[in-house]
Amino acid sequence: MTRIRWSAVAPGVALAVFTLALLGRYLAPNDPEQPVAVPWSVPSTQLPFGADALGRDVLSRVLAGGANLLGVALTAAAAALLIGVALGLVAGWWPRWAGHAVRWFGDLLLAVPALVLALVLAVALPGAAAVVVAAVLSGAPLTARVVAAQCATVRDSGYLHAAVERGEHGAVVLVRELLPALRGLVAADAGLRLITALQLATTLAVLGFGPQPPDPDWALMLSENLPGAALNPTALLAPAVPLALCALLCAATARTATREREGVW
Amino acid sequence: MVRQRVERPIESATSDSEPLVVTGLSVRRVGDGQLVLPATDLRLGAGEVVAVVGASGAGKSSLLHALLDSLPSGLRRDGGVVRWRGLPIPEGRAARRWRRAHCGYVGQDPILALNPLWSVARLVGEQLSGSRRNRALRVREVCDLLGLPAELASRRCGELSGGQAQRVALARALATEPDVLLLDEPTSALDAETRSMIVEAVRAHPGGCTLLVTHDPFLVSVADRVVDLSPPATVTRRSPAARRVTVPTPSTVTSPPVRSLAAVPLAPGHGTAPLLAVQGLQVARPDGTPLLEDVHLNLAHGSWTAILGPSGSGKTSLLYAILGRRPVLHGRLLLGGHPLPADVRQRDREQRRAIQLVGQHPAGELNPVYRVGPAVARPLAVLHGVGRRERAREALRLLGSVGLAAEIAHRRPPALSGGQRQRIALARALAARPSVLLLDEPTSALDRASAATVLDLLDRLRDDGLAILSVTHDPTVAARADRVLHVHPRRLVEGRTDGPLPLTDNQTEESGAR
Repeated sequence: MTRIRWSAVAPGVALAVFTLALLGRYLAPNDPEQPVAVPWSVPSTQLPFGADALGRDVLSRVLAGGANLLGVALTAAAAALLIGVALGLVAGWWPRWAGHAVRWFGDLLLAVPALVLALVLAVALPGAAAVVVAAVLSGAPLTARVVAAQCATVRDSGYLHAAVERGEHGAVVLVRELLPALRGLVAADAGLRLITALQLATTLAVLGFGPQPPDPDWALMLSENLPGAALNPTALLAPAVPLALCALLCAATARTATREREGVW
Repeated sequence: MVRQRVERPIESATSDSEPLVVTGLSVRRVGDGQLVLPATDLRLGAGEVVAVVGASGAGKSSLLHALLDSLPSGLRRDGGVVRWRGLPIPEGRAARRWRRAHCGYVGQDPILALNPLWSVARLVGEQLSGSRRNRALRVREVCDLLGLPAELASRRCGELSGGQAQRVALARALATEPDVLLLDEPTSALDAETRSMIVEAVRAHPGGCTLLVTHDPFLVSVADRVVDLSPPATVTRRSPAARRVTVPTPSTVTSPPVRSLAAVPLAPGHGTAPLLAVQGLQVARPDGTPLLEDVHLNLAHGSWTAILGPSGSGKTSLLYAILGRRPVLHGRLLLGGHPLPADVRQRDREQRRAIQLVGQHPAGELNPVYRVGPAVARPLAVLHGVGRRERAREALRLLGSVGLAAEIAHRRPPALSGGQRQRIALARALAARPSVLLLDEPTSALDRASAATVLDLLDRLRDDGLAILSVTHDPTVAARADRVLHVHPRRLVEGRTDGPLPLTDNQTEESGAR
């Protein structure tokens, strides 16, 4: 009976990995931007992950390279979620007026591929800002849609009517009564938004629109260390694994959150 | 420790004629490990109809869920074996397969389980196989059996009345001719005539056996056997010859005095004006089809008016119109002599407070997220600005007055039974200190004793000036009313109708009994 369930530990693991990535630069044993060994050194006891093209410590660069990427992704996801949920609630509660407007405008945005949008924005804006704006423009309409659709199924609930009938203010009904009823959906959507934001940030960084060398950054490391994959494959894997892990943990956490909201009391 | 539950077989059946045998099934809450359903034995013979009765919160619905292995995640099966034709059904995938292949289930508040956007025909026929024509025929057949009119087939489920939705859910379960039919309060929203139709349909379903959870004495009386889940000390021995009406447990909570939560009377407008006057109201379905025309009603302080009528005749719509939930085509409302806007959003706070509803579907009345105590206390904060601690105390007192224990205040609605939720919804409506209380089937999920507690409470509140308008199929509710109105095709008429009276109980035939 004491089998450890993955869904139960996922949130804890996710929190630990994200914290480690955000604060990792203070744990780095070497300066991530200074050469300390021969280029493409293979892993050794001194350098557990070996060295990269310029002989810099890969472990230190991995520890320091997550903060920026995850910071941007978290900001972008939070912005997309916040705006999407707000629009979705309004659209779902007033389906006639706001609903049509939100759907029309959202469809317009969804017609533009997110990556193209991000690339165009990246030319005009700094990389991080481009990621945030692109994530909001491509993600918020999706969030708004699912939230509005879910609203439609609960908006005739007795408890929502009862709230209106006891004189609760409109905004209070939305935030206090309607939003909690949708929190499983919102939790699941938060995971999705974070994963897509992470992908967007990674893509832009790999393409060179994000942080510039010699900054340590997981995505940048992927493109930097690709040529030396035959000499020191660890240098390529070291940033790839935490990137994948973060995405997986987001998905697992979102699933746990969804399941718990569905009625474990 | 398996305690044998009281079960009285009418005729001793041999084991091979009993397709479904349940032994020692018990259910616990996950959080605090509290026993929700003590070990229960149950046998269901072929073609047999077994009624499960017991006080509100005795674990009746949990028994059905445990049997089907579909317990909500807050509850878990603690022990026991379910055997189907002699073979035990393990939990998990096997149970799911068995459920799909052999069981038809209708839960409490089926309207919440039916997709509101699907048409009735699509819902009923969803699980059928065969050609399109045969499916349509079968749907038609089942709907006829349950008295669902043909024009209903194309209507969306969200537009159905409570009683219609209940029958659609049953039709959906019956359509596939399941071997076992499990019904949870299948008649809570139905009038007597429709109820007998349901009984016939259930009786007629070929070769199958039926397990039904109910508070309805009529349904209990037609069952072959009755299983009582009340604690053994309070179960009265019944003779097989006697009409098997349960004598349920007296509620564990003694009602505290309720004077203090009396309705706040409206400032008298005109000297003799009734509290609420409904004048020439026309009530329509959301799609505009008229349901009731020219409704005139006067509700005086301390009066109790009951409205009876067949399922789908617009009773709930009338309550919604008074409440301002639904647009009104014609007519007007006067509250204390002053005109009342038709739309609740245009009413001021005082007007909203004055009229409160206790809705028909207990499961949908409470936000699943909030604990019961704060949910009941909320109207006190919003409408009366009562302080936090005073509010909590008052909420407990209100819960006590409807016969609920104080520990319920810390639970959330999904963990509670239908009857408990129904009473919580009433407590919440009373917390608003209304002048007019609208009740839609206020006792549909309650056993006799709980219902009596609730009705006594309402009677006492009337002495303080609360006016009550209730829509009901329950004779015991109608018996409390000063005035009983019937829905006669599209009109409200005094007393009984010409057609077959939708009530079997003598006590309600005299409408102005009080």
